[in-house]
Amino acid sequence: MRAVNYMKIDYMLTKQQLRIMLPLAIVAVLVGRGMGGIGVMVTCCYMLFIATLFSTAPFGSCSKKNTGFLLMLPGTVTERVAGRFLYGMSYIVMTVIICLAGMGVYSLFGYKITWMTLGLFLCNLALAIVIVALEYLISYVFGEGKNNWQYLGNVVRVAPGMGMFFLFMFILEKADKEPYAMERLEFVTQRIVFVGALALGTALLIMMLSAIVCVKVIERRDYA
Amino acid sequence: MELLEVKNLSKHYKTFDLKDISFTLPKGYIMGYVGPNGSGKTTTLNLITGVLKCNDGKVYIDGITCKDDVRTYREQIGYVGDESYFPDNFTVKNIRSVLNDFYATFSEEKFNKFLQKWNLPEKKQVKDFSRGMKVMLMFASVLSRDTKLLVLDEATNGLDPVMRTEILKLLQEYVMDGQRSVIFSTHILSDLEQIADYIYFIDGGRTVLHDAKDEMIENFLLVKGESGAIPPALREELIGLEENAYGFEAILPSEKAALLGNAFLVEKPNIDNIVIHFIKHRENGNRM
Repeated sequence: MRAVNYMKIDYMLTKQQLRIMLPLAIVAVLVGRGMGGIGVMVTCCYMLFIATLFSTAPFGSCSKKNTGFLLMLPGTVTERVAGRFLYGMSYIVMTVIICLAGMGVYSLFGYKITWMTLGLFLCNLALAIVIVALEYLISYVFGEGKNNWQYLGNVVRVAPGMGMFFLFMFILEKADKEPYAMERLEFVTQRIVFVGALALGTALLIMMLSAIVCVKVIERRDYA
Repeated sequence: MELLEVKNLSKHYKTFDLKDISFTLPKGYIMGYVGPNGSGKTTTLNLITGVLKCNDGKVYIDGITCKDDVRTYREQIGYVGDESYFPDNFTVKNIRSVLNDFYATFSEEKFNKFLQKWNLPEKKQVKDFSRGMKVMLMFASVLSRDTKLLVLDEATNGLDPVMRTEILKLLQEYVMDGQRSVIFSTHILSDLEQIADYIYFIDGGRTVLHDAKDEMIENFLLVKGESGAIPPALREELIGLEENAYGFEAILPSEKAALLGNAFLVEKPNIDNIVIHFIKHRENGNRM
């Protein structure tokens, strides 16, 4: 329960970005719609990039001197770290809902949602979760509670998600313009949903491991 | 019955060591924790609140350590610092919500009363509050729950005299039931003069003096006079001797009063005099 309360605090710290989540989703759907068959995946890729960006926002949200109130709250380190991970996961879940809704909208417009689309989405989702897990780990190990983190933290927050976005855009472009390139990966395309589900499971496991390591790191630290 | 027990507390940093701090604070009393800048006051208070981890020693609040039960330990503490510790973008509404979620003893009614009394705006973000308003908001957040120990780190520094007097009165009321205590670090020693029962004085991370305030004052004499008239035996015993063209001023342990004779002006010192002369004593190259 305390972990949920800590998650609520993170939402208070980053209340502005929650307000722009829905407008961003609408823009992403509209932009994707103009791109034809791959549009739905463009929307999903973009929203997952946003999820990686938003889910790490609490790390840079207040300076060390303004965290005393939160540090002195009666809760354990495990609850605090769990709260932060719940916050990250809640953005991922929110994005999944938005993406599924986006797929619904696309199918209303007459675009077919294929297994390939679903499989690629699951792979992208898994990669996004791994990126968030690693960003959390880096932020806790090198950043949390350190004064000079805000500048480096921005790079850590933005770069991996952006890299993921461009990687998937590259794959989608290849698949759109050079279908034979994907045919070469016949083995993968036939099992893409299975591969995606496996990747997602692994990603969730990595997320849990990351949380455990974060707790161990923070427990030994001052201002924790 | 002791509320706060600090046992052999030590904290090592690259450039500073807090060493072997030990004291107890009984229920119903106020302790002034004094020392010059960089003497280790904030470090000690952060160790007490559990925000810092000590290298050696233990802190007990009502018999439990932070490791035993972090929730109960922190529920018992109310901390107020010299500057706001709230996130800048928080509003009073956010703070109330967090206090409600985390503290079993938080009283929304009391909190709202303090807000009204001190004219603290509900919708403004904390970053737009004045320094005094931030301090009052911190006080509102700790006084509206059932804490046992108030830890104040130079909390009255940013307040005007009227507010400061009100806070000192509140602190006296806080300990009045004999179940709660206050540890209070400040540079405004006149505040301690008014409300402290005990004084703990540290310098350079080491204990210099620790006693009940009244006894500490009784234990020293403030001596003034002409520098030329100080006999060598007395000079050796004077603490923080300060000489100028008009004469000298120093403090002397009361037990050495026999060395004074009739040649000097002797007064009862205040806490300010004692602290300043002990710091001067160290600056003069003496060990404390």
